[in-house]
Amino acid sequence: MQELTLASPGGAVLSLDAVLILLSALACLGSKLFDRYLTYYALQSVLLAVAAATAAYLEGDPALWVLAGLTLVLKGWAIPAAARHWLVQRLDLKRDSGITTGLSLTLVLGTALCAFAYLAVSPERLAHGLLAASVVPISTAVVLLGALAMVVRRHMVAQLIGWLIMENGVFLGAITLTASFPLIVEVGIFFDLLAGFLIMLAMTTGLAERISPLPIGRSGRDS
Amino acid sequence: MVWLPVLVAALPLVGSAFAALSGRTGWAAAATAASAAASLLLAVVVATVTITGAPLASAGAFVYVDGLGGFFLVTVAAVVLLASLGSASYLAVEERSGQLSVRRVRIYFGAFGLFAAAMLAAVETANLGLLFILVEAATLASVVLVPIEGRTEGLEAGWRYVIISSLGITVALVGALFLFYSASALPGSAEAHLAWPFLLAHAHQLAPTALRLGFLLGVVGYGTKVGLAPMHTWLPDAHAEAPAPASAMLSGALLNVGMYAIIRLLAIANRGLGSQYGGRTMLIFGFLSVLVGVVFMIRRRDFKRLFAYSSVEHMGIIAVGLGFGGVLGIYGALLHSLNHSLGKTILFLSGGSVALAYGTRRTDRLGGVVGAMPWTGALLLGAALAILGAPPFGLFISEFTIVRAGLAGDQPWLVALLLALLAVAFLAFIRTVGGMLLGAPRGVHREPYRGSREHLLAVGPSVVGLLALLGLGLWIPSWLNSLLAHSVALVR
Repeated sequence: MQELTLASPGGAVLSLDAVLILLSALACLGSKLFDRYLTYYALQSVLLAVAAATAAYLEGDPALWVLAGLTLVLKGWAIPAAARHWLVQRLDLKRDSGITTGLSLTLVLGTALCAFAYLAVSPERLAHGLLAASVVPISTAVVLLGALAMVVRRHMVAQLIGWLIMENGVFLGAITLTASFPLIVEVGIFFDLLAGFLIMLAMTTGLAERISPLPIGRSGRDS
Repeated sequence: MVWLPVLVAALPLVGSAFAALSGRTGWAAAATAASAAASLLLAVVVATVTITGAPLASAGAFVYVDGLGGFFLVTVAAVVLLASLGSASYLAVEERSGQLSVRRVRIYFGAFGLFAAAMLAAVETANLGLLFILVEAATLASVVLVPIEGRTEGLEAGWRYVIISSLGITVALVGALFLFYSASALPGSAEAHLAWPFLLAHAHQLAPTALRLGFLLGVVGYGTKVGLAPMHTWLPDAHAEAPAPASAMLSGALLNVGMYAIIRLLAIANRGLGSQYGGRTMLIFGFLSVLVGVVFMIRRRDFKRLFAYSSVEHMGIIAVGLGFGGVLGIYGALLHSLNHSLGKTILFLSGGSVALAYGTRRTDRLGGVVGAMPWTGALLLGAALAILGAPPFGLFISEFTIVRAGLAGDQPWLVALLLALLAVAFLAFIRTVGGMLLGAPRGVHREPYRGSREHLLAVGPSVVGLLALLGLGLWIPSWLNSLLAHSVALVR
């Protein structure tokens, strides 16, 4: 496995793609409309598929091609489409009023997390032999941004999308950094993601039938 | 022999299959219980094999059972068996009273089997990626059980559970990725770099920064599943709202699976970073959890929530034992996880019978349960004393062992702190449960179970569990002792 740096064309493509994935996470964090959340998530997933395809091309690994295709179809199309149909349209969701911090503060926090990710896992401190070490801090930052979205947003649908973004960050790390990551594990993670999405979808619609409007922000109830 | 552990994990799926294919809920319940019994029997065989010989392992360590895995396998399988028997009576009552439709009962048993299978499989793999997949699968299957009784509170609790657990466990996956990176400079296949035996054997050569990150992220991530404070916030809701036998599974089995993952990571950290680092991390999370658990146990009026906070406390005690470390600390922590599982299973199963009979979980509306339901009340009382660490039950021995481990260390004041917290827990718990069990009769009691078979199914598992706890307090079988010793050697 050769090490990729920005100097090689493959490394440059991967790094650029990773930066775009990070930007789409930030864009989602800075948005207030449910429809936009899904658009940015879909965009991010397509970029993730590009990253997987790049890694597949560089490594000549057919398994990674399969993964790129799965990512494109499921995350780039099926999940956003299902969420748009079952959640955004059916529940008539427009503006997210369940954000606990202002958008500018959210973005400041998000940027701080990006800086933290870079300081905590700067490429030169990691072991050598990675496919593209410069992507490690970026994928960590995407995970943190997804977690931030889950924490500052109280609406169930927004939390669900935050989780999906987090998973994209993990996948970016798994796909591009370690092209040799066992395939069975990646497929398993994919399956979990899908099952989790379906269960959360069912719970959201189930709760929406009982409580409307939906925003669920209550912390633990103690009696 | 690798097929044997695979069979142990696959057996509970028989119950799921019955639930999916047949409309007779009684058959699904019977199949679930029978397969759980077979699963426990084979788990004991697997554990015995691991003491005597090398670990049962497949290529790439996707299937890998050593002493530690065998110990947790038996614990989980035992809880699954008790909970499946309890499910048979509990669900029969709820179906008869119209609380649950036949369809929901079928969903319950379908998810129950998947849940059990995923947990059993999780303690049988050494591949950290597969471990994540299985723990997440167990989470998702159990999420289906939480809101099954159809209350809005249940749905809310289920949502909080799935969203916080998924977040936490994704963090654990990032931790696994960092461990993978930390080994990437070493020779060997990609499967090996993600497998526990390889990482443990090469712990000294792992890149320290990535290893430290991987360990911390793993503890926070799986700690969310274990209910270590401050990641415990989902736990009381989910454990209180789930049907009682499902609560027993969540508290008695799933928490242990999370702890198992942490112990695996701790073993690598102990070797690679020195035991100071891992030990201190466990002590911080452990004491915080004991503190939070105990504080929230005070004046808790919903007894299932009380039991749930007690689980937070006990997971904290286990973490403290691991943090004290040494042979005694780890031995005590492992033994405590088995004891706590049995005790908490009895509490939830018997508590479930009380909730069915009185239609409430509020202790201020309950009184004199022992008089109205002698068996259930006595079992609850016994299990409450056991869970509080009163002799002669098993938890006394394991807590005592952990305390001795702490006294052997260089910070004996930590032991004093732990004992003080345990004393507060004792008072808070016994005050609430004592009033409900022994006080003046209160609340309208209506016998939920019909026929001797249902009665036996409702009481029997708890009787067996309590006898086992009593036995563990008086005598540790040599079989269990060597299993524990084997596990301790792996973790130190």
